[in-house]
Amino acid sequence: MATEAADRIAARQRVEARRRQLEAPTTVRDDSEDEMIVSFPEFIFKEFIAAVAMTVFLVVVSIFLQAPLLGQANPGVTPNPSKAPWYFLGLQELLSRFPPLMAGVAFPTFVIVLMILVPFLDRNPSRRPSERKVAIILFALYMAIVVALVIIGTFFRGHEFIWDWGWVLGNPQTCGGRAC
Amino acid sequence: MKVIRGAVDEMWSIIGQMTSSVFRHGLPLTDKIAARTALTNFVLHIHPVRVRRSWIRMSYTLCLGGLTFFLFIVLTVTGLYLMFYYVPSINHAYQDMRDLQFVVTFGGLIRNMHRWAAHAMVITVWLHMARVFLTGAYKKPREFNWGIGTVLLLITLLLSFTGYLLPWDQLSIWAVTVGTNMAKYAPIAGPYTRYLMLGGHAVGDATLLRFYVMHVVGLPLVGFLLMVVHFWRVRKDGFSGGL
Ligand code: HEM
Repeated sequence: MATEAADRIAARQRVEARRRQLEAPTTVRDDSEDEMIVSFPEFIFKEFIAAVAMTVFLVVVSIFLQAPLLGQANPGVTPNPSKAPWYFLGLQELLSRFPPLMAGVAFPTFVIVLMILVPFLDRNPSRRPSERKVAIILFALYMAIVVALVIIGTFFRGHEFIWDWGWVLGNPQTCGGRAC
Repeated sequence: MKVIRGAVDEMWSIIGQMTSSVFRHGLPLTDKIAARTALTNFVLHIHPVRVRRSWIRMSYTLCLGGLTFFLFIVLTVTGLYLMFYYVPSINHAYQDMRDLQFVVTFGGLIRNMHRWAAHAMVITVWLHMARVFLTGAYKKPREFNWGIGTVLLLITLLLSFTGYLLPWDQLSIWAVTVGTNMAKYAPIAGPYTRYLMLGGHAVGDATLLRFYVMHVVGLPLVGFLLMVVHFWRVRKDGFSGGL
């Protein structure tokens, strides 16, 4: 009985030690100043506050902002421009610039595979931002491109998905990127 | 008098028994009680019993993973409400949306909440990914959880996209037409993929049913299971903690 318990404790210590070893190069924090606390109620309370704040935010937004509902779907009338939902507008933007096989298939597949492979491609063991400048710059670039494409697709593409300053200049002829 | 007092005492003790059958440990006045509460409570058991102070600093996670999950719950609850009134057929869908907007009690509010929570979830899931990247939390031993996360990001986008069609208005069918047109460019499989998604050559009744089924059953189910695995791995890989 006693040896069984001792075995179990030893096994757990081996696992712990191995984990510390695995983590060692990436761990840069100094735990001595970092107190262990019981998660309930402090942590749970923080989560609760975040959830309540989000709920209040959603309710207030939903009271004042109507979700769009246009006329009933009519397969005979194509709005111009026809746009995908905003989170796919980056893709639509690429499609308007590059050959479809590249923009619509090769490129997204490449990005998704690359994203999944990120932890294996990034050989740098450090987690300190000052030691991962290249990774951070590349990631910032990626995010900036995604955001820029979505903004262009949303606001700067008008009739026939052609470039349109209407949203900035307020030109009534072009409807500022929205369907006329 | 004595009988009445006896009955009142008995009632209090029954109420006490009821309360303690639900809340087993009383107020978390000591660490020991708090730890036992966290261990034995269903809602709390996904959390570690003990954490380092730096892990739960809001400046580290910015609550983004948790908020994404919370939005998923909000979407499930509001979505359920919408399902009571919505029929996924081109003869009913649009009118049902109008009824929700103008007739059903709280219908407009719930529909708005569902819509804005969906947009918010797309944003928080991206930001959560950015946080994980910038803190280098995907590094060994969390590579696999990053991969699960990537799939969750795709599922979140697909959930939003399938939902976009359901109101059956001019915005939705054309957005989905444009979106599914992208699929047809894949070599060989492209046109078949598109046919499979639409259930035909153009967005129609079959498409609406397919998108509906994926939106309310298929994707949420897969997404939820992956979230369960995701959270499990956060615990088992060990939380990356402060920098
Ligand atoms: C539906 C989508 C998702 C949900 C609900 C979700 C939820 C969570 C939660 C609650 C945590 C705990 C820490 C925190 O709140 O930051 C977490 C951690 C994590 N998530 Fe996600 N997540 C999602 C998508 C993603 C995505 C898109 C990625 C990356 C591509 C990702 C990668 C990770 C990793 C690597 C961790 C561990 C972080 C650490 O230990 O510091 N997750 N996730």
